[in-house]
Amino acid sequence: MGKTVLTIDDSRMMREMLLMVLQGAGFNVVQAEDGKQGLDALSRTNPDVIITDINMPVMDGYGFIENARMDARYRSTPILVLSTESSPEKKQRARQAGATGWIVKPFQAESLLEVVRRVSA
Amino acid sequence: MTTSPSPIAPPAPRERMLHVVQGEYAVVSEPGVVLTTILGSCVATCMWDPVAEVGGMNHFLLPGDASNGGESLKYGVNSMELLINGMLQRGAVRRRMQAKLFGGARVVPGLSDVGAQNAAFALDFLRLECIPCVGQSLGGDQARRIRFWPATGRVAQMLVETTETILEVERKRPAAAIRPQDPAAGSVELF
Repeated sequence: MGKTVLTIDDSRMMREMLLMVLQGAGFNVVQAEDGKQGLDALSRTNPDVIITDINMPVMDGYGFIENARMDARYRSTPILVLSTESSPEKKQRARQAGATGWIVKPFQAESLLEVVRRVSA
Repeated sequence: MTTSPSPIAPPAPRERMLHVVQGEYAVVSEPGVVLTTILGSCVATCMWDPVAEVGGMNHFLLPGDASNGGESLKYGVNSMELLINGMLQRGAVRRRMQAKLFGGARVVPGLSDVGAQNAAFALDFLRLECIPCVGQSLGGDQARRIRFWPATGRVAQMLVETTETILEVERKRPAAAIRPQDPAAGSVELF
């Protein structure tokens, strides 16, 4: 059975693009529209990898990462940020919150898949 | 179906014009700033939150041709996301956002109708993201000059002569993917 990736992004088109790329590579994909939905999905599905946007309504990516890391069950689940942002300050904030890595949009499909495979190995 | 925006008038005193070129975007929350651009086959999305009085414009062109599907789309999605995120960072609320679309003309006969592709992408994006498209002027065979008042959503459009400058830009549209605005785009970093 393939590994499961939880994708969290408020853009439906971005979620569909990620779905296409990840499903095409054999991953099961669970989607959420914001950080709060992401936390709900997390407890239901126990994913192998999480990919989250930063700028989202209701709960942003930082909030999701901080809350996820407070739960011992998800303390070591790889969390990759996928964002249009690239500033060192924002990356540092994500790192301190507990993120595993950072991918700058627009993503290259092969690069994304490579890092997802690497962190979920 | 096109709307009929008001014709171009001289800028009012104390208005500052900010020109948005191809591949870029601008978001404004200060009063008195007018965003402007000139469009051939490119599309500009004028988006605003009327309550927060925050708005912005992007100016994008999907690279390559329709056969590379997702490769082109991701640059369009990125352009839209930069615009939306820029507005959110200035206090806009997504559910209040509205948009108008302009451009997507076929100004050079004989070349593929990339304007139609750009327009179709923009319309699809707004529909999927549930952002109302409350006005548009797309297609045709003339270039457009538009001015956008981000605080109110007002747009003034003038159809312009397709000059040699515009034709040169259209003919040079790269077949390969356009380099994204951010040189870090696509980069991956593991902490």
